[in-house]
Amino acid sequence: MSETVVSTTGWKPNPRAARRRRADHLATAFGMVMAGILVLVLASILWTLLSRGLAGLSAAAIMKPMGPPGSSSGLANAIVGSLIQTFMALLMATPLGLGCGIYLSEYGTETNKFASCVRFVSDVLMSVPSILVGLFVYQVLVAPFGHFSALAGSVALAILAVPIIVRTTEDMLRLVPTSMREAGAALGATRWRVTLSLCLRSAKTGVLTGILLALARVSGETAPLLFTSLGNQNWSFSLNRPMASLPVTIYQYAGASYEDWVQLAWAGALLVTMGVLAINIAVRVSARRG
Amino acid sequence: MTETDPQVAKSPEVALAVRNLNFYYGENHALHDISIDFPARRVTAMIGPSGCGKSTLLRVFNRMYDLYPGQRATGEVIFDGRNVLERDLDLNILRARVGMVFQKPTPFPMSIYDNIAFGVRLHEKLNKAEMDARVQDVLTRVALWNEVRDRLNAPASGLSGGQQQRLCIARSIATRPEVLLLDEPTSALDPISTARIEELLDELKEEFTIAIVTHNMQQAARCADQVAFFYMGRLIEVDSADRMFTNPKQQQTQDYITGRFG
Repeated sequence: MSETVVSTTGWKPNPRAARRRRADHLATAFGMVMAGILVLVLASILWTLLSRGLAGLSAAAIMKPMGPPGSSSGLANAIVGSLIQTFMALLMATPLGLGCGIYLSEYGTETNKFASCVRFVSDVLMSVPSILVGLFVYQVLVAPFGHFSALAGSVALAILAVPIIVRTTEDMLRLVPTSMREAGAALGATRWRVTLSLCLRSAKTGVLTGILLALARVSGETAPLLFTSLGNQNWSFSLNRPMASLPVTIYQYAGASYEDWVQLAWAGALLVTMGVLAINIAVRVSARRG
Repeated sequence: MTETDPQVAKSPEVALAVRNLNFYYGENHALHDISIDFPARRVTAMIGPSGCGKSTLLRVFNRMYDLYPGQRATGEVIFDGRNVLERDLDLNILRARVGMVFQKPTPFPMSIYDNIAFGVRLHEKLNKAEMDARVQDVLTRVALWNEVRDRLNAPASGLSGGQQQRLCIARSIATRPEVLLLDEPTSALDPISTARIEELLDELKEEFTIAIVTHNMQQAARCADQVAFFYMGRLIEVDSADRMFTNPKQQQTQDYITGRFG
Protein backbone atom coordinates (compact mmCIF):
# COMPACT_ATOMS: atom_id res chain seq x y z
CA MET A 1 0.00 0.00 0.00
CA SER A 2 1.41 3.37 -0.95
CA GLU A 3 1.73 6.06 1.67
CA THR A 4 -0.32 9.22 1.44
CA VAL A 5 0.54 12.54 2.95
CA VAL A 6 -1.47 13.27 6.07
CA SER A 7 -1.44 16.80 7.41
CA THR A 8 -2.47 17.75 10.90
CA THR A 9 -4.92 20.44 9.79
CA GLY A 10 -6.13 18.77 6.60
CA TRP A 11 -9.84 18.98 5.89
CA LYS A 12 -10.83 20.14 9.35
CA PRO A 13 -13.06 23.22 9.18
CA ASN A 14 -11.02 26.38 9.45
CA PRO A 15 -12.81 29.09 11.47
CA ARG A 16 -10.61 31.84 9.99
CA ALA A 17 -11.45 30.91 6.41
CA ALA A 18 -15.13 30.79 7.29
CA ARG A 19 -14.93 34.27 8.79
CA ARG A 20 -13.18 35.60 5.70
CA ARG A 21 -15.85 34.04 3.51
CA ARG A 22 -18.61 35.66 5.60
CA ALA A 23 -16.87 39.06 5.31
CA ASP A 24 -16.67 38.57 1.55
CA HIS A 25 -20.38 37.80 1.30
CA LEU A 26 -21.17 40.79 3.48
CA ALA A 27 -19.10 43.16 1.36
CA THR A 28 -20.70 41.89 -1.83
CA ALA A 29 -24.17 42.24 -0.32
CA PHE A 30 -23.37 45.78 0.85
CA GLY A 31 -22.25 46.80 -2.63
CA MET A 32 -25.32 45.28 -4.24
CA VAL A 33 -27.72 46.92 -1.80
CA MET A 34 -26.12 50.33 -2.34
CA ALA A 35 -26.25 49.91 -6.11
CA GLY A 36 -29.88 48.86 -5.77
CA ILE A 37 -30.71 51.96 -3.71
CA LEU A 38 -29.10 54.20 -6.32
CA VAL A 39 -31.08 52.58 -9.11
CA LEU A 40 -34.25 52.83 -7.01
CA VAL A 41 -33.71 56.55 -6.39
CA LEU A 42 -33.14 57.19 -10.10
CA ALA A 43 -36.08 55.02 -11.06
CA SER A 44 -38.39 56.75 -8.62
CA ILE A 45 -37.33 60.16 -9.93
CA LEU A 46 -38.01 59.02 -13.47
CA TRP A 47 -41.29 57.38 -12.43
CA THR A 48 -42.49 60.53 -10.67
CA LEU A 49 -41.47 62.64 -13.65
CA LEU A 50 -43.21 60.34 -16.10
CA SER A 51 -46.42 59.90 -14.12
CA ARG A 52 -46.81 63.60 -13.25
CA GLY A 53 -45.24 64.99 -16.42
CA LEU A 54 -46.98 62.86 -19.02
CA ALA A 55 -50.35 64.05 -17.73
CA GLY A 56 -49.47 67.65 -18.50
CA LEU A 57 -47.59 66.89 -21.68
CA SER A 58 -50.18 67.63 -24.33
CA ALA A 59 -49.92 69.06 -27.81
CA ALA A 60 -51.04 72.37 -26.33
CA ALA A 61 -48.21 72.32 -23.80
CA ILE A 62 -45.68 72.13 -26.59
CA MET A 63 -47.42 74.31 -29.19
CA LYS A 64 -48.87 77.15 -27.08
CA PRO A 65 -46.89 79.88 -25.32
CA MET A 66 -47.09 80.58 -21.62
CA GLY A 67 -50.13 82.44 -20.35
CA PRO A 68 -52.17 83.33 -17.28
CA PRO A 69 -53.46 80.49 -15.13
CA GLY A 70 -56.60 78.76 -16.38
CA SER A 71 -56.06 79.83 -20.01
CA SER A 72 -54.92 76.42 -21.33
CA SER A 73 -51.47 77.86 -21.98
CA GLY A 74 -48.27 75.96 -22.80
CA LEU A 75 -44.49 76.06 -22.72
CA ALA A 76 -43.67 76.74 -26.36
CA ASN A 77 -41.86 80.04 -25.80
CA ALA A 78 -39.87 78.52 -22.91
CA ILE A 79 -38.84 75.53 -25.04
CA VAL A 80 -37.73 77.75 -27.90
CA GLY A 81 -36.05 80.14 -25.45
CA SER A 82 -34.08 77.30 -23.92
CA LEU A 83 -33.01 76.07 -27.34
CA ILE A 84 -31.92 79.56 -28.43
CA GLN A 85 -29.97 80.26 -25.26
CA THR A 86 -28.17 76.90 -25.05
CA PHE A 87 -27.38 77.09 -28.76
CA MET A 88 -25.97 80.61 -28.36
CA ALA A 89 -24.01 79.45 -25.31
CA LEU A 90 -22.50 76.57 -27.25
CA LEU A 91 -21.72 78.89 -30.14
CA MET A 92 -19.65 81.03 -27.78
CA ALA A 93 -18.19 78.26 -25.63
CA THR A 94 -17.09 75.85 -28.37
CA PRO A 95 -14.43 77.98 -30.12
CA LEU A 96 -13.14 79.27 -26.78
CA GLY A 97 -13.05 75.81 -25.20
CA LEU A 98 -11.54 74.15 -28.28
CA GLY A 99 -8.87 76.81 -28.67
CA CYS A 100 -8.00 76.67 -25.01
CA GLY A 101 -7.89 72.85 -24.93
CA ILE A 102 -5.71 72.78 -28.04
CA TYR A 103 -3.35 75.33 -26.49
CA LEU A 104 -3.05 73.35 -23.26
CA SER A 105 -2.45 70.04 -25.00
CA GLU A 106 -0.20 71.08 -27.89
CA TYR A 107 1.64 74.13 -26.60
CA GLY A 108 1.27 74.14 -22.83
CA THR A 109 4.00 71.80 -21.70
CA GLU A 110 4.53 71.02 -18.02
CA THR A 111 7.17 73.71 -17.67
CA ASN A 112 4.93 76.42 -19.14
CA LYS A 113 3.79 78.66 -16.26
CA PHE A 114 1.03 80.38 -18.22
CA ALA A 115 -0.41 77.03 -19.32
CA SER A 116 -0.51 75.63 -15.79
CA CYS A 117 -2.23 78.84 -14.73
CA VAL A 118 -4.85 78.51 -17.49
CA ARG A 119 -5.38 74.84 -16.62
CA PHE A 120 -5.88 75.70 -12.93
CA VAL A 121 -8.31 78.53 -13.65
CA SER A 122 -10.30 76.31 -15.98
CA ASP A 123 -10.52 73.55 -13.38
CA VAL A 124 -11.61 76.02 -10.69
CA LEU A 125 -14.24 77.41 -13.06
CA MET A 126 -15.63 73.91 -13.47
CA SER A 127 -16.48 73.71 -9.77
CA VAL A 128 -17.71 77.29 -9.24
CA PRO A 129 -21.38 77.27 -8.11
CA SER A 130 -23.49 78.20 -11.09
CA ILE A 131 -25.36 80.89 -9.16
CA LEU A 132 -22.05 82.78 -8.77
CA VAL A 133 -21.66 82.75 -12.53
CA GLY A 134 -25.17 84.18 -12.77
CA LEU A 135 -24.32 86.95 -10.30
CA PHE A 136 -21.11 87.76 -12.15
CA VAL A 137 -22.87 88.08 -15.50
CA TYR A 138 -25.57 90.17 -13.80
CA GLN A 139 -22.89 92.60 -12.67
CA VAL A 140 -21.22 92.75 -16.06
CA LEU A 141 -24.00 92.44 -18.64
CA VAL A 142 -27.27 93.23 -16.86
CA ALA A 143 -26.70 95.97 -14.29
CA PRO A 144 -24.73 98.33 -16.59
CA PHE A 145 -27.39 98.10 -19.34
CA GLY A 146 -30.31 98.35 -16.97
CA HIS A 147 -32.24 95.35 -18.31
CA PHE A 148 -32.17 91.57 -18.39
CA SER A 149 -31.35 89.90 -21.70
CA ALA A 150 -31.18 86.52 -23.40
CA LEU A 151 -27.63 87.38 -24.38
CA ALA A 152 -26.63 87.66 -20.72
CA GLY A 153 -28.25 84.28 -20.07
CA SER A 154 -26.34 82.72 -22.95
CA VAL A 155 -23.05 84.18 -21.71
CA ALA A 156 -23.68 82.73 -18.24
CA LEU A 157 -24.36 79.29 -19.71
CA ALA A 158 -21.29 79.61 -21.95
CA ILE A 159 -19.09 80.31 -18.93
CA LEU A 160 -20.30 77.04 -17.41
CA ALA A 161 -19.75 75.11 -20.65
CA VAL A 162 -16.24 76.34 -21.44
CA PRO A 163 -14.26 74.48 -18.74
CA ILE A 164 -15.93 71.18 -19.64
CA ILE A 165 -14.98 71.58 -23.29
CA VAL A 166 -11.44 72.68 -22.34
CA ARG A 167 -10.87 69.65 -20.13
CA THR A 168 -12.22 67.04 -22.56
CA THR A 169 -10.46 68.61 -25.55
CA GLU A 170 -7.12 68.63 -23.74
CA ASP A 171 -7.56 65.06 -22.46
CA MET A 172 -8.62 63.71 -25.84
CA LEU A 173 -5.76 65.43 -27.67
CA ARG A 174 -3.29 64.04 -25.15
CA LEU A 175 -4.46 60.55 -26.05
CA VAL A 176 -3.19 61.10 -29.62
CA PRO A 177 0.20 59.36 -29.70
CA THR A 178 3.35 61.45 -30.09
CA SER A 179 4.25 59.29 -33.09
CA MET A 180 1.35 60.88 -35.00
CA ARG A 181 2.73 64.37 -34.38
CA GLU A 182 6.25 63.28 -35.33
CA ALA A 183 5.03 61.58 -38.50
CA GLY A 184 3.23 64.77 -39.50
CA ALA A 185 6.22 66.97 -38.72
CA ALA A 186 8.52 64.57 -40.61
CA LEU A 187 6.55 65.30 -43.80
CA GLY A 188 7.23 68.99 -43.36
CA ALA A 189 3.85 69.97 -41.94
CA THR A 190 3.71 73.00 -39.67
CA ARG A 191 2.58 72.61 -36.11
CA TRP A 192 -0.92 74.01 -36.57
CA ARG A 193 -1.41 71.82 -39.64
CA VAL A 194 -0.43 68.74 -37.62
CA THR A 195 -2.73 69.83 -34.79
CA LEU A 196 -5.72 70.54 -37.03
CA SER A 197 -5.45 67.87 -39.71
CA LEU A 198 -4.01 65.02 -37.70
CA CYS A 199 -4.46 65.39 -33.94
CA LEU A 200 -7.87 67.03 -33.84
CA ARG A 201 -9.03 64.68 -36.57
CA SER A 202 -8.09 61.54 -34.70
CA ALA A 203 -9.54 62.95 -31.47
CA LYS A 204 -12.73 64.27 -33.05
CA THR A 205 -15.13 61.77 -31.48
CA GLY A 206 -13.84 62.50 -28.00
CA VAL A 207 -13.89 66.25 -28.58
CA LEU A 208 -17.44 66.07 -29.91
CA THR A 209 -18.41 64.03 -26.86
CA GLY A 210 -17.07 66.80 -24.64
CA ILE A 211 -19.14 69.42 -26.44
CA LEU A 212 -22.27 67.28 -26.07
CA LEU A 213 -21.54 66.73 -22.38
CA ALA A 214 -21.23 70.49 -21.92
CA LEU A 215 -24.55 70.89 -23.72
CA ALA A 216 -26.19 68.35 -21.41
CA ARG A 217 -24.71 70.09 -18.38
CA VAL A 218 -25.95 73.59 -19.20
CA SER A 219 -29.33 72.71 -20.67
CA GLY A 220 -30.80 72.10 -17.22
CA GLU A 221 -29.16 75.06 -15.47
CA THR A 222 -31.54 77.41 -13.68
CA ALA A 223 -29.49 79.52 -11.30
CA PRO A 224 -27.33 81.32 -13.89
CA LEU A 225 -30.46 82.33 -15.81
CA LEU A 226 -32.41 83.73 -12.86
CA PHE A 227 -30.80 87.16 -12.93
CA THR A 228 -29.59 87.20 -16.50
CA SER A 229 -32.31 86.24 -18.97
CA LEU A 230 -34.93 86.37 -16.18
CA GLY A 231 -37.76 84.65 -18.03
CA ASN A 232 -40.59 85.97 -20.17
CA GLN A 233 -44.32 85.23 -20.32
CA ASN A 234 -44.47 86.03 -24.02
CA TRP A 235 -42.75 85.13 -27.22
CA SER A 236 -39.47 86.96 -27.64
CA PHE A 237 -36.71 86.29 -30.11
CA SER A 238 -34.62 89.32 -29.26
CA LEU A 239 -31.29 88.58 -27.61
CA ASN A 240 -31.47 92.04 -26.11
CA ARG A 241 -34.62 91.34 -24.07
CA PRO A 242 -35.59 88.89 -21.36
CA MET A 243 -36.26 85.41 -22.69
CA ALA A 244 -38.12 82.45 -21.23
CA SER A 245 -36.39 79.14 -20.59
CA LEU A 246 -37.62 75.74 -19.41
CA PRO A 247 -35.63 75.54 -16.13
CA VAL A 248 -36.66 79.04 -15.00
CA THR A 249 -40.29 78.34 -15.97
CA ILE A 250 -40.22 75.13 -13.93
CA TYR A 251 -38.85 77.13 -11.03
CA GLN A 252 -41.64 79.71 -11.34
CA TYR A 253 -44.50 77.30 -12.02
CA ALA A 254 -43.67 74.45 -9.64
CA GLY A 255 -44.28 76.60 -6.58
CA ALA A 256 -47.41 78.27 -7.94
CA SER A 257 -50.83 77.64 -6.42
CA TYR A 258 -52.52 77.12 -9.79
CA GLU A 259 -53.10 73.50 -10.68
CA ASP A 260 -52.43 73.93 -14.43
CA TRP A 261 -49.14 75.77 -13.82
CA VAL A 262 -47.88 72.98 -11.56
CA GLN A 263 -48.95 70.52 -14.24
CA LEU A 264 -46.92 72.45 -16.84
CA ALA A 265 -43.90 72.55 -14.50
CA TRP A 266 -43.91 68.74 -14.40
CA ALA A 267 -44.28 68.56 -18.16
CA GLY A 268 -41.34 70.96 -18.53
CA ALA A 269 -39.22 68.90 -16.13
CA LEU A 270 -39.98 65.80 -18.18
CA LEU A 271 -38.97 67.62 -21.38
CA VAL A 272 -35.63 68.78 -19.91
CA THR A 273 -34.90 65.27 -18.63
CA MET A 274 -35.75 63.71 -21.98
CA GLY A 275 -33.52 66.23 -23.72
CA VAL A 276 -30.56 65.48 -21.43
CA LEU A 277 -31.21 61.76 -21.82
CA ALA A 278 -31.22 62.12 -25.60
CA ILE A 279 -27.90 64.00 -25.51
CA ASN A 280 -26.36 61.33 -23.28
CA ILE A 281 -27.48 58.59 -25.64
CA ALA A 282 -26.01 60.60 -28.52
CA VAL A 283 -22.71 60.79 -26.59
CA ARG A 284 -22.66 57.04 -26.12
CA VAL A 285 -23.46 56.34 -29.74
CA SER A 286 -20.79 58.74 -30.97
CA ALA A 287 -18.24 57.31 -28.53
CA ARG A 288 -18.96 53.80 -29.72
CA ARG A 289 -18.57 54.81 -33.36
CA GLY A 290 -15.18 56.40 -32.66
CA MET B 1 33.58 72.70 -46.78
CA THR B 2 34.42 70.61 -49.83
CA GLU B 3 37.83 72.26 -50.13
CA THR B 4 38.88 71.97 -46.52
CA ASP B 5 37.76 68.41 -46.11
CA PRO B 6 39.64 65.95 -48.29
CA GLN B 7 37.19 63.13 -47.73
CA VAL B 8 34.25 65.14 -48.99
CA ALA B 9 36.32 66.61 -51.82
CA LYS B 10 37.39 63.30 -53.32
CA SER B 11 33.86 61.92 -53.14
CA PRO B 12 31.33 64.35 -54.61
CA GLU B 13 28.68 61.68 -54.21
CA VAL B 14 28.21 62.30 -50.49
CA ALA B 15 24.61 63.16 -49.65
CA LEU B 16 25.06 63.87 -45.97
CA ALA B 17 28.36 64.81 -44.39
CA VAL B 18 28.39 64.80 -40.59
CA ARG B 19 31.24 66.64 -38.89
CA ASN B 20 32.01 66.80 -35.15
CA LEU B 21 28.40 66.34 -34.21
CA ASN B 22 27.52 66.47 -30.53
CA PHE B 23 24.03 65.99 -29.21
CA TYR B 24 22.51 66.73 -25.83
CA TYR B 25 19.26 65.72 -24.15
CA GLY B 26 19.33 68.54 -21.63
CA GLU B 27 22.42 67.76 -19.54
CA ASN B 28 22.84 64.31 -21.01
CA HIS B 29 25.58 64.23 -23.65
CA ALA B 30 24.20 61.58 -26.02
CA LEU B 31 26.44 61.84 -29.10
CA HIS B 32 30.17 62.52 -28.97
CA ASP B 33 32.05 64.05 -31.92
CA ILE B 34 30.40 62.03 -34.66
CA SER B 35 31.88 62.40 -38.16
CA ILE B 36 30.55 60.21 -40.93
CA ASP B 37 29.60 60.43 -44.61
CA PHE B 38 26.43 59.01 -46.11
CA PRO B 39 27.14 58.17 -49.79
CA ALA B 40 24.41 59.22 -52.20
CA ARG B 41 22.03 56.52 -53.44
CA ARG B 42 23.46 53.94 -51.07
CA VAL B 43 22.05 52.26 -47.99
CA THR B 44 23.89 53.02 -44.78
CA ALA B 45 22.88 50.86 -41.83
CA MET B 46 23.42 52.10 -38.30
CA ILE B 47 23.82 49.33 -35.74
CA GLY B 48 24.63 49.15 -32.05
CA PRO B 49 23.04 48.24 -28.74
CA SER B 50 19.95 50.08 -27.45
CA GLY B 51 20.72 53.58 -26.25
CA CYS B 52 23.92 53.89 -28.29
CA GLY B 53 22.66 57.00 -30.09
CA LYS B 54 21.89 55.66 -33.56
CA SER B 55 18.25 56.79 -33.52
CA THR B 56 19.32 60.10 -32.01
CA LEU B 57 21.65 60.65 -34.95
CA LEU B 58 18.86 59.84 -37.41
CA ARG B 59 16.60 62.38 -35.75
CA VAL B 60 19.26 65.08 -36.16
CA PHE B 61 19.15 64.81 -39.96
CA ASN B 62 15.58 66.08 -40.23
CA ARG B 63 15.80 68.19 -37.05
CA MET B 64 13.10 66.06 -35.41
CA TYR B 65 14.60 66.98 -32.06
CA ASP B 66 13.42 70.56 -32.63
CA LEU B 67 9.97 69.45 -31.46
CA TYR B 68 11.33 69.04 -27.97
CA PRO B 69 12.74 71.87 -25.90
CA GLY B 70 15.97 71.00 -24.14
CA GLN B 71 17.38 68.90 -26.96
CA ARG B 72 20.21 70.47 -28.97
CA ALA B 73 22.95 69.61 -31.41
CA THR B 74 26.31 71.22 -32.20
CA GLY B 75 28.65 70.60 -35.12
CA GLU B 76 27.78 70.26 -38.79
CA VAL B 77 25.52 68.14 -40.94
CA ILE B 78 26.14 69.27 -44.52
CA PHE B 79 23.30 68.55 -46.91
CA ASP B 80 23.31 70.12 -50.38
CA GLY B 81 25.85 72.74 -49.34
CA ARG B 82 24.14 73.86 -46.15
CA ASN B 83 24.50 72.95 -42.51
CA VAL B 84 21.08 71.65 -41.54
CA LEU B 85 21.73 72.60 -37.92
CA GLU B 86 21.62 76.31 -38.85
CA ARG B 87 19.06 78.07 -36.75
CA ASP B 88 17.34 79.89 -39.62
CA LEU B 89 16.99 76.84 -41.84
CA ASP B 90 13.42 76.27 -43.13
CA LEU B 91 12.50 73.03 -41.38
CA ASN B 92 9.50 72.38 -43.59
CA ILE B 93 11.68 72.41 -46.69
CA LEU B 94 14.33 70.30 -44.97
CA ARG B 95 11.74 67.69 -44.00
CA ALA B 96 10.32 67.61 -47.50
CA ARG B 97 13.83 66.81 -48.77
CA VAL B 98 14.74 64.42 -45.95
CA GLY B 99 11.90 61.98 -45.34
CA MET B 100 11.49 59.72 -42.34
CA VAL B 101 9.78 56.41 -41.60
CA PHE B 102 9.26 55.37 -37.99
CA GLN B 103 9.39 52.14 -36.05
CA LYS B 104 5.64 51.87 -35.59
CA PRO B 105 3.47 52.43 -38.65
CA THR B 106 1.57 55.67 -38.13
CA PRO B 107 -1.28 55.89 -40.63
CA PHE B 108 -3.05 59.24 -40.48
CA PRO B 109 -6.76 59.22 -39.56
CA MET B 110 -7.88 59.53 -43.19
CA SER B 111 -8.21 57.51 -46.38
CA ILE B 112 -5.33 55.64 -48.01
CA TYR B 113 -5.37 58.20 -50.84
CA ASP B 114 -5.31 61.17 -48.48
CA ASN B 115 -2.46 59.66 -46.45
CA ILE B 116 -0.31 60.07 -49.56
CA ALA B 117 -1.86 63.34 -50.70
CA PHE B 118 -1.49 64.99 -47.28
CA GLY B 119 2.28 65.39 -47.54
CA VAL B 120 2.24 66.26 -51.23
CA ARG B 121 -0.32 69.04 -50.72
CA LEU B 122 1.97 70.66 -48.15
CA HIS B 123 4.64 71.33 -50.74
CA GLU B 124 3.12 71.20 -54.23
CA LYS B 125 -0.02 72.32 -55.99
CA LEU B 126 -1.15 69.43 -58.13
CA ASN B 127 -4.42 69.06 -60.01
CA LYS B 128 -6.57 66.00 -59.50
CA ALA B 129 -5.04 64.01 -62.39
CA GLU B 130 -1.48 64.77 -61.29
CA MET B 131 -2.27 63.82 -57.73
CA ASP B 132 -3.92 60.57 -58.84
CA ALA B 133 -0.81 59.77 -60.87
CA ARG B 134 1.48 60.55 -57.94
CA VAL B 135 -0.54 58.36 -55.59
CA GLN B 136 -0.55 55.46 -58.04
CA ASP B 137 3.16 55.91 -58.71
CA VAL B 138 4.30 55.76 -55.08
CA LEU B 139 1.88 52.97 -54.16
CA THR B 140 3.17 50.95 -57.09
CA ARG B 141 6.75 51.48 -56.00
CA VAL B 142 6.08 50.17 -52.50
CA ALA B 143 4.21 47.21 -54.05
CA LEU B 144 0.94 48.22 -52.45
CA TRP B 145 -1.01 49.40 -55.51
CA ASN B 146 -2.51 46.05 -56.43
CA GLU B 147 -3.62 45.45 -52.87
CA VAL B 148 -5.36 48.80 -52.36
CA ARG B 149 -6.32 50.07 -55.82
CA ASP B 150 -9.99 49.23 -55.20
CA ARG B 151 -10.21 50.86 -51.80
CA LEU B 152 -8.19 54.05 -52.03
CA ASN B 153 -10.94 55.89 -50.18
CA ALA B 154 -11.09 53.41 -47.30
CA PRO B 155 -9.48 54.47 -44.02
CA ALA B 156 -5.79 53.58 -43.83
CA SER B 157 -6.27 52.17 -40.34
CA GLY B 158 -7.93 49.13 -41.92
CA LEU B 159 -4.67 47.96 -43.53
CA SER B 160 -2.46 45.30 -41.96
CA GLY B 161 0.69 46.35 -40.10
CA GLY B 162 2.97 45.51 -43.02
CA GLN B 163 0.70 47.33 -45.46
CA GLN B 164 0.55 50.34 -43.15
CA GLN B 165 4.34 50.51 -43.02
CA ARG B 166 4.59 50.33 -46.80
CA LEU B 167 1.97 53.09 -46.95
CA CYS B 168 4.14 55.18 -44.62
CA ILE B 169 7.15 54.64 -46.90
CA ALA B 170 4.99 55.60 -49.89
CA ARG B 171 3.87 58.70 -48.02
CA SER B 172 7.49 59.68 -47.36
CA ILE B 173 8.68 59.25 -50.94
CA ALA B 174 5.59 61.02 -52.32
CA THR B 175 7.10 64.39 -51.40
CA ARG B 176 10.12 63.40 -53.54
CA PRO B 177 12.82 63.61 -50.88
CA GLU B 178 16.50 63.04 -51.60
CA VAL B 179 17.27 61.28 -48.33
CA LEU B 180 15.14 58.66 -46.62
CA LEU B 181 15.62 58.00 -42.90
CA LEU B 182 14.30 54.69 -41.59
CA ASP B 183 14.14 54.14 -37.84
CA GLU B 184 13.86 50.38 -37.29
CA PRO B 185 11.15 50.20 -39.96
CA THR B 186 10.60 46.44 -39.69
CA SER B 187 10.90 45.79 -35.96
CA ALA B 188 7.11 45.75 -35.53
CA LEU B 189 6.49 43.56 -38.59
CA ASP B 190 6.28 39.85 -39.33
CA PRO B 191 9.04 38.15 -41.38
CA ILE B 192 7.13 38.25 -44.67
CA SER B 193 6.38 41.97 -44.41
CA THR B 194 9.99 42.51 -43.35
CA ALA B 195 11.29 40.70 -46.43
CA ARG B 196 9.06 42.84 -48.65
CA ILE B 197 10.37 46.05 -47.16
CA GLU B 198 13.97 44.86 -47.51
CA GLU B 199 13.36 44.14 -51.19
CA LEU B 200 11.85 47.58 -51.45
CA LEU B 201 15.00 49.19 -50.02
CA ASP B 202 17.03 47.68 -52.82
CA GLU B 203 14.84 49.39 -55.41
CA LEU B 204 14.54 52.66 -53.53
CA LYS B 205 18.28 53.16 -53.22
CA GLU B 206 18.52 53.74 -56.96
CA GLU B 207 16.85 57.04 -56.31
CA PHE B 208 17.28 57.86 -52.63
CA THR B 209 20.08 58.03 -50.12
CA ILE B 210 18.96 55.74 -47.33
CA ALA B 211 19.97 55.72 -43.68
CA ILE B 212 18.47 52.87 -41.72
CA VAL B 213 18.68 52.13 -38.01
CA THR B 214 18.34 48.43 -37.27
CA HIS B 215 18.78 45.96 -34.45
CA ASN B 216 18.81 43.12 -36.90
CA MET B 217 22.36 42.21 -37.95
CA GLN B 218 21.18 40.04 -40.84
CA GLN B 219 19.10 42.92 -42.11
CA ALA B 220 22.13 45.20 -42.08
CA ALA B 221 24.19 42.55 -43.89
CA ARG B 222 21.45 41.97 -46.49
CA CYS B 223 20.49 45.54 -47.27
CA ALA B 224 23.35 47.87 -46.53
CA ASP B 225 26.25 49.05 -48.63
CA GLN B 226 27.86 50.78 -45.67
CA VAL B 227 27.53 49.91 -41.99
CA ALA B 228 28.26 52.13 -39.01
CA PHE B 229 28.65 50.72 -35.51
CA PHE B 230 27.77 52.96 -32.57
CA TYR B 231 28.46 52.35 -28.91
CA MET B 232 27.78 54.61 -25.92
CA GLY B 233 27.18 57.67 -28.10
CA ARG B 234 30.35 57.23 -30.14
CA LEU B 235 30.91 56.07 -33.69
CA ILE B 236 33.21 53.08 -33.22
CA GLU B 237 33.65 52.02 -36.81
CA VAL B 238 32.24 52.62 -40.27
CA ASP B 239 33.03 50.53 -43.31
CA SER B 240 31.52 48.70 -46.25
CA ALA B 241 29.06 46.01 -45.23
CA ASP B 242 31.31 43.27 -46.59
CA ARG B 243 34.35 44.27 -44.57
CA MET B 244 32.31 45.13 -41.48
CA PHE B 245 30.82 41.68 -41.18
CA THR B 246 33.84 39.66 -42.25
CA ASN B 247 36.78 41.60 -40.97
CA PRO B 248 35.98 44.46 -38.57
CA LYS B 249 38.93 46.51 -37.38
CA GLN B 250 37.72 47.18 -33.87
CA GLN B 251 37.43 44.54 -31.19
CA GLN B 252 34.17 46.10 -29.89
CA THR B 253 32.59 45.83 -33.33
CA GLN B 254 33.59 42.21 -33.61
CA ASP B 255 32.21 41.46 -30.15
CA TYR B 256 28.92 43.11 -31.01
CA ILE B 257 28.32 41.52 -34.40
CA THR B 258 29.23 38.09 -33.10
CA GLY B 259 26.71 38.55 -30.32
CA ARG B 260 29.08 38.70 -27.39
CA PHE B 261 27.30 41.77 -25.99
CA GLY B 262 24.48 44.17 -26.79
